Parts: sequence; structure tokens; C-alpha cells
Amino acid sequence: MTNERVLLDPTSESTPMERNLSERPETMNGLTVGLLDISKGRGDIFLNRLEEKLSDIGIKTLRFKKPTFTKPAPVDLRQEIATKCDAVIEALAD
Amino acid sequence: MHDIDDIERRGIPAVMIASAPFEDAAQTQADALGLDISRVFVPHPVQDRTDDEMHEMADLVFNKVLDTLTR
Amino acid sequence: MFERSWTDGLPVVPPTTERVRKMLEGTTRSPDEIIVSVPPNLIECTVEKIAINAVMAGCKPDYLPVVISALETICTEEFNMHGVLATTMSVGPIFVVNGPITRDIGMNSGINVLGHGNRANSTIGRAVQLVIHNVGGGGPGGIDRSTLGHMGKQGFCFSENELSSPWSSLAESRGYNSSQNVVTAFTGEGPRLVMDQKSRTPESLIRTLAEHLISSVSSRVVVGMDAMLVLSPEHASRFHEAGWSKDRFLEEIAEIMMIDTDNIIAGSGGIEEGLPTEMKGMSLPKFKPNGLLLVQAGGPAGLFSAIIGGWLNGPSGSEPVSKEISA
Repeated sequence: MTNERVLLDPTSESTPMERNLSERPETMNGLTVGLLDISKGRGDIFLNRLEEKLSDIGIKTLRFKKPTFTKPAPVDLRQEIATKCDAVIEALAD
Repeated sequence: MHDIDDIERRGIPAVMIASAPFEDAAQTQADALGLDISRVFVPHPVQDRTDDEMHEMADLVFNKVLDTLTR
Repeated sequence: MFERSWTDGLPVVPPTTERVRKMLEGTTRSPDEIIVSVPPNLIECTVEKIAINAVMAGCKPDYLPVVISALETICTEEFNMHGVLATTMSVGPIFVVNGPITRDIGMNSGINVLGHGNRANSTIGRAVQLVIHNVGGGGPGGIDRSTLGHMGKQGFCFSENELSSPWSSLAESRGYNSSQNVVTAFTGEGPRLVMDQKSRTPESLIRTLAEHLISSVSSRVVVGMDAMLVLSPEHASRFHEAGWSKDRFLEEIAEIMMIDTDNIIAGSGGIEEGLPTEMKGMSLPKFKPNGLLLVQAGGPAGLFSAIIGGWLNGPSGSEPVSKEISA
């Protein structure tokens, strides 16, 4: 009964392709930062403050909010963010 | 994290901010996605904080957040 | 296998080629057919992968169609299994099976229905959880962030005692007929006992049930979270014998569970948790329409029922999902 010893793999058997992060700019000067609120309690207060501090140092911001923190943002929203922003900050998961 | 992954795929630098207990989950998800997503953690808990405490939290991580988005 | 992180902490049946081949005889579907994309990593999952995990869980081949359909219910946008895993709340998928298949495969809807001791009940839910763990990559401490969890996350599946009740079954109330085999998934906590050994009239017993349901998850949560009520045969008979229909039961209990928001505003009663002050002076239902799922099950003796508290409902959370089981 040698084949009794062969076990089939219950996992996905897939390892993701390792990718690198997008290239970062030297500085944020003159760029637009998207602030993506995940719609979890207190996140808006936190992002308000980040927005304030970004504009203090002359960085433009745009606000976005996804409908719910429990699911990925709708594809249209991600598209919109990608066309309007040079960088994105998402907050606040707890 | 799927949002950040998608935005990064579109060539836009992105960072997520979460509270400290999510460090493990973020690592697991980053491993599964194959992208070492930029992430910054704030102290837990969040839900019972006052507005002032939330502002302090934002001040605390502000420079770190900018660092993850620039070279 | 435990060291390879293939298990849920309990021993599993080694998935040998021969056992998996036998398991696949339980379905007419092709082993390489892709059934669902399994969260959280959204990995395409074949019948064969499901069969491997079903072997490990201890399933018999004739349970496989139920396991496959149970996976189909939770790998949907409405059920939002990724959210159910990631939440810190102590919830997991719970499966209720209706239809002739429950008798064919010997599922338990009687004594200890929410507990252990029946092979089909114990292994079907477990097989689903192993697929989420092994194929989807969603295990405790990784993507699963539950603060406390509950024992039912090992696998929570049972059938309804649908033959001895004049009321429609859960599946029938969700639009199926009694000859269809249906699995319904609900996101819930562990069950909690409701004791009422004195009520002899439906009017009295329904108040006890309502009083306990109001505290489901938190007495300060209204509308946003569902619950499942597992009504035992003896409790159910109080309503059946008095001629109450299921609709009447659900209407009357909803009426009793209208909540005066003044009592659950943040700060009321010296408790900081609660609704925002703007919501004062309102009357809100504890559960949204159809937010209370009624299932009849349990042993013949005992004046107890059980409440299974839910999680966030609606598009932000998880909605119950039913699917017909196909061979």
C-alpha cells in the first residue's frame, strides 16, 4: 500500500509573484495626495489632521471615502483616485 | 490592503495606516499579495479616543507617513 | 500535517490519493471544475481541492455536495467572508441545511443539535473552514483577527427539524420548496441558551424570547445586526398548539422588540456606549425586516431555545445567503 503514503496538498499551492513598490518621488512638493477614508469610526478626525498638516507644508490633498471598511474599495473609486492623485494615504484600520 | 495593492499596481505610491494590533495581519496579507506594502501603525485603541487624542496620533506618525511616500 | 499548518488544531484524516478519489465519487462534478474564488486571497478553488479538505475534515463522500454548496454561499459579495474573517468580533460562518438530503446523509436536527456527536454536522462545516484556511489563506492570527472566537468556528453546521413542525422551514421562508436541498449561511457567534420553563401561553413565552433577543450582541445595538433564533420543539409547540402561524410569531415579536432610543443613548444609565444623542426620542426595531432568522431544531424535551447573535448586516457587513445543493 505504498500509495497510502502519498498525501495530496490541500493548499492553493500558489505563491504570489513578488513585486516592488512603485517608484517614490524625491519630495512631495507640488504633488497631490489622496486621503482615502476607509469608513471606520474616528478615521475622519485622524485624516482631517493629516490634511491640515499636509496643506501647512504646501501639499495639495483630495479626500475620498470608500463605502465600507469591510470590503475593498469599488473599482471606479480606485480608478478615480489613480487618475487624480500622485500618492495615496489610506486610514484608519483598527 | 487590497486597495493599496491595486493603487500601487497603477504606479501610485500608497501607504496604509492601521492600529498596532494589525501588524501581524498586515504582514500576512502583504505576504499573500507579494507586495511589501508601506504601512504605518498608530497606538491601539482608536474607537474610544477624543478628537484631541486623534490629532496627537496623527501628529505622531505624520513624518513617518511622508517618509514612506518619498525616496 | 499540523506542522505544515494544514489543520485547524485537531487531528485530520490524511488525504491520500485513494481517499480523495473516493470522496470525488460523492459529486458528479469534474475534479478540475473551478467552483469559487476563496477569500481572503481569492484563490480559484477546484472540486478536487474541496474534496481533499473534506477528506481531512472527516466527511463521507455523500456530504461533498453540501460542502461545495456551503462554500458557494460564503464566497459571495453579499456574505463577505473576507470581512467575517477580518473582524475582531467573535463570529464565523454557520450553516443550516434543509431538505431531503439532511435525512439521506443522517444530519442531526434533534438532541444536541448545536453540539457534537453527529458526523455530518461535525465535519461539513469543518471542511468549509479548512478550505478557507488552506486554500484561501485565512487562518487565526493572520487574516482572522477575532478577539475571542468561538468553538463553532471549528465548523458549525446543523439541519432544521422541518418534518414535525407545521411552520415553514428556513429555506421555505427564503423562497425554496420543501423538496429542494438548500444550505443557508449566516454569520454568527456561539449559541446562547434562553430558559423559560414556566410560560404556558404563547403571549408569555414570546416576551421571554424577545427580552433575551434584545440583548443579542449588545442591548445598545439596534437594526444593524441580525440574529438567529433556534426554537426548540417544546417551545415551538406553545405556538403551534395555540394556532399561531410563523408570520404571526415574527410580527408579534418584532412589535415587542421596538426599542425606545432614549434608553440606549450614549451616557444613559451611566453607560458611555450607545447611540449618538441625535437619535433621541425615536422608536427603532431591534432587527431590520427579515433580520431575525427562525430555525426549529433541538431535542424533544427541554423548555429552552437558543440565540445566535449576528454581525453587521447590509452591504457593509454580511447578509445570509442560501443556495440549492446540486449533486
